[in-house]
Amino acid sequence: MKTRILGFTALVAVAAATVNGLFIVPADLNQGDAQRIMYVHVASAWLAYLSFGVTAMAGIGYLVRRDLRLDAVALAGAEVGVMLTAFAIWGGMMWGRPVWGVFWQWEDPRLTTTALLLALYAGYLLFRRLTDDPHRRAARAAVVGLIAAIDIPIVHFSVIWWRGLHQGPTIGDPSKILNPSAPPLFVLALMSMLAAFTLVWGYLMVRRYQLARTEWEIEEHGRLGRISAARRSFTTESMAEESAP
Amino acid sequence: MSALRRNATIALAIARKDALAELRGRQAVGSTIFFAALVLLLFGFALGPDSRRLAEAAPGLLWLAIVFGGLLTVARLHQMEADDGALEQLALYPVDRRAVYAGKALAGAGAMLLLGGLLLPVVAILYGVPLGAAWLPLAVTVILGSVGFAAVGTAYAGLTVRMRAREVMLPLLMLPIVAPLLLAAVKATVAAVAGDPFGELGAWLQLLAGFDIVMLIAGGATYGFLLED
Amino acid sequence: MSDVWFVIAGYGVILGGLAGYAIALARRLARARQASLRIRGEAESATTADLGE
Repeated sequence: MKTRILGFTALVAVAAATVNGLFIVPADLNQGDAQRIMYVHVASAWLAYLSFGVTAMAGIGYLVRRDLRLDAVALAGAEVGVMLTAFAIWGGMMWGRPVWGVFWQWEDPRLTTTALLLALYAGYLLFRRLTDDPHRRAARAAVVGLIAAIDIPIVHFSVIWWRGLHQGPTIGDPSKILNPSAPPLFVLALMSMLAAFTLVWGYLMVRRYQLARTEWEIEEHGRLGRISAARRSFTTESMAEESAP
Repeated sequence: MSALRRNATIALAIARKDALAELRGRQAVGSTIFFAALVLLLFGFALGPDSRRLAEAAPGLLWLAIVFGGLLTVARLHQMEADDGALEQLALYPVDRRAVYAGKALAGAGAMLLLGGLLLPVVAILYGVPLGAAWLPLAVTVILGSVGFAAVGTAYAGLTVRMRAREVMLPLLMLPIVAPLLLAAVKATVAAVAGDPFGELGAWLQLLAGFDIVMLIAGGATYGFLLED
Repeated sequence: MSDVWFVIAGYGVILGGLAGYAIALARRLARARQASLRIRGEAESATTADLGE
């Protein structure tokens, strides 16, 4: 099965990138070992954003074509995305404590935007559970997903301006995270982790999509079975009436 | 069995039923906690990014989030029965009204305790306030605050659950009443986090406890009338 | 260096979480596929019984 090959490849890639990031690549001069967290933190964040982009696009696709398979893609993107967003925030906190001295910092536009991203898509997932009819659910979710996606760049920019107007001391300089003039080894480590995570993401998306489709099939066949059973009991009742004296 | 034992058993049974219903209809509990955490996040956007100002405001923001979440919680505990039409049955049930009240208030206090407990680490992280050292006085404050809020909230939720515009009526009625609770809880939290430099923690906790006792008595006495309405 | 604990916590939760999610998905999918086959069989026999008489 192709998916299993993908999964296995992803596993190997992550293992290799992790070993590289933890043991082979040298520690940063300024941030020390804590900088290694960046590899998984940035990878999680980028793939989370990709996921939500997929959710928004698939939602639009559903509104245009009314194909429930697109809604299944949207659901997969949201669920995988929420998980990756939570990981990105966790990674950010684990990095922030040793480097900034605090777990959280409001002035970093990436951290605060990611927190709102988590809130938006957790809400999206909760919202989906409230509607039972598949098509109505897909349409409503598409709207919510679209508006959420539009909101994200607005949030990002407003936090940047927010920080700019504030006069107090800045605890952490976000440009420390991805210094373009960083040694090529660091960039390579980051890229390899990103590639590995992309493979994992692809695998999880496929599996989650398959699960959504299978669950929908169960719903559909369950419905058909109930309709048939109801019809059968109706006809046997009327047959019993006719045969009674 | 003495009347007290019987009432206690009934109260516990009602509290247990509410707790199970809450945990099984998972959506509502989680959503309320999610909402309160979201409120805390938004306070950060409203008052930040100065981390010092946020750290100073943290106790007040924590209790505001608890109050908002609490309003949803106590409303929800009565909404369950109203939706199923079980309220009439509850009113007709031949038991001491105070036992019903105690059970519902207990369930409400439990839910709010859970809410407060989960919000404490969120506050610690978002506002950069170290809460670990003061965990005991903080726990006591959250317990007393939860009991007091649930005491008032149960009574008022029972009162407003079948009214029109109940979504705004409940907060409208409750917020002025719980103002002293909010005040005392915030002051106690501030004192606890700072290590109680002026020795005022005890006084605020006593005020909270007094509020709780008064409201529990008043709620218990009037709940029967509210249900029969 | 105490930083190490943060690195371990960071990698551990993230990689462990990904693995856990992958495993949970695989299990849910297997169960759902079994259930789907079962229900499809029931639905088909129900409809054929329906039409057969």
